[in-house]
Amino acid sequence: MKQILVLGQTNAGKTLFTINFAIYLGASDISLTFQDSHRGSYTRTLELEAAKQLLVSDTPHYTRVVQSAVLELPWGKGIKKFEIVDTAGLMDGIHQDPQIRRAMSQTLAVVRQADIILHILDAAKIGKNNILKTIGEVDFQVAQFGQLKPGYVILANKIDLPEAMEGIEKIKAEFPGHQILEISALHTLGFKKVKEFVKRHL
Amino acid sequence: MNQERVFSLVENGDITVSEALSIIRKSASEGKISLEMSKENKIAEIQQELNRLIGLESVKQLIHEIYAFVEIQQKRVQMQLASEPVVLHMIFSGNPGVGKTTVARLIGKLFMEMGVLSKGHLVEVERADLVAEYIGQTAQKTREQLRKATGGILFIDEAYSLARGGEKDFGKEAIDTMVKTMEDQRNNLIIILAGYSEPMKEFLETNPGLSSRFPIQIEFPDYSSFELFKIAELMLQERDYQLNKGARRKLYRIIEELKAAETTNFGNARTVRNIIEKAIRRQAVRLVNMKNLSRTDLMEITEEDIQGEVGP
Repeated sequence: MKQILVLGQTNAGKTLFTINFAIYLGASDISLTFQDSHRGSYTRTLELEAAKQLLVSDTPHYTRVVQSAVLELPWGKGIKKFEIVDTAGLMDGIHQDPQIRRAMSQTLAVVRQADIILHILDAAKIGKNNILKTIGEVDFQVAQFGQLKPGYVILANKIDLPEAMEGIEKIKAEFPGHQILEISALHTLGFKKVKEFVKRHL
Repeated sequence: MNQERVFSLVENGDITVSEALSIIRKSASEGKISLEMSKENKIAEIQQELNRLIGLESVKQLIHEIYAFVEIQQKRVQMQLASEPVVLHMIFSGNPGVGKTTVARLIGKLFMEMGVLSKGHLVEVERADLVAEYIGQTAQKTREQLRKATGGILFIDEAYSLARGGEKDFGKEAIDTMVKTMEDQRNNLIIILAGYSEPMKEFLETNPGLSSRFPIQIEFPDYSSFELFKIAELMLQERDYQLNKGARRKLYRIIEELKAAETTNFGNARTVRNIIEKAIRRQAVRLVNMKNLSRTDLMEITEEDIQGEVGP
């Protein structure tokens, strides 16, 4: 099964995007495979609205395990199944919490094999603040790594916020040569383009 | 540097994520590591999945043989040696609920990874999907299904029903269309005929041309009581339930009784699943009015939850 990886800094909106994108593609529930260090891997099926309540938060480092959902996309006359993988937020520097460090190392393990990488950047935050503070070394590394993969795209998130306009300009300046799609994970804006991108690269 | 080492360095907090990414990127662009899961790994994963199925030893063995055969033929082609044409159409015979569809699905995945099939999906059909009502429409309907299955597996359940209904029945037309396509599309379509053992045997005897076109014939044996019990335990484990001692004994007894009774409608694994699902419902009824339930209470299936007769 092809893998789509959702990547980005902590609090960029990865989990919300994953769940809302699943709803957008017509899934009614999301089956999450948690890879937990204590219990190995186990599966939970959640209704999507409940998943949103449970998994989305504005606390940084809320997602600490790699969670994934299997989705279906209409494909010609049939359907195509793929796995969308939501990851723990990446960050610069070394975090003091070993659990978070483990989550990041799990994320890296998935990055290598993913067929499509959706790199989410928080356009509003970037618009409001100095890019030195908001676009991290890790984002540049991910983008460079993305050049090796045809299925790499940057999603500039939170375009529903006024500051995002400026953020998008900054992102375009910082990542020349990369395809950038504008979305709002919260209001499901720009999802059509993401779907088309995914379809093209699966 | 080794990949796993990079991950453990991140985990131990020795290097940052950015540093790790740049290391991975460098070794990937130098071609030292592949960015995709290797073909061997994927095949091994599918084989593991197959081996996790309970029982079916003879089936597993045969599939391993087929795998080895195809693999070696591919290697022989590479070395420009004469190679056997690989014809992989199959016949699966056995009672309902012995794992025919499950195995077919895994075979599809396996052959896709090996490069035999381009998609590896499974299209399940029965007589009604192939045979039409009026003259001339059957070939079209059958061809449509064959087209859908191209690149994967066409799984025809109760295939012998195509031959029933005498000379004037359109089932024959469906068979003819199928045979024509399976010769043309030999390299990218596998057809599996499935059904009960006895009628399948008759079907092949009355259509001798078919038997030779389906060189791989797999007989799925019924599960033994012990295997069925193992399957039940696995099903419960997947659902986060467990049997207590009394329940284990009772379930085993029920399975043995069902097997001994040998009623034709004993659906093997499917019947076991129904018993399990009923037990889960009964457990819920037993617990629903209780207060202060512990985790163990919620997981445990007791003797009274398990009931033999599968019914409403």
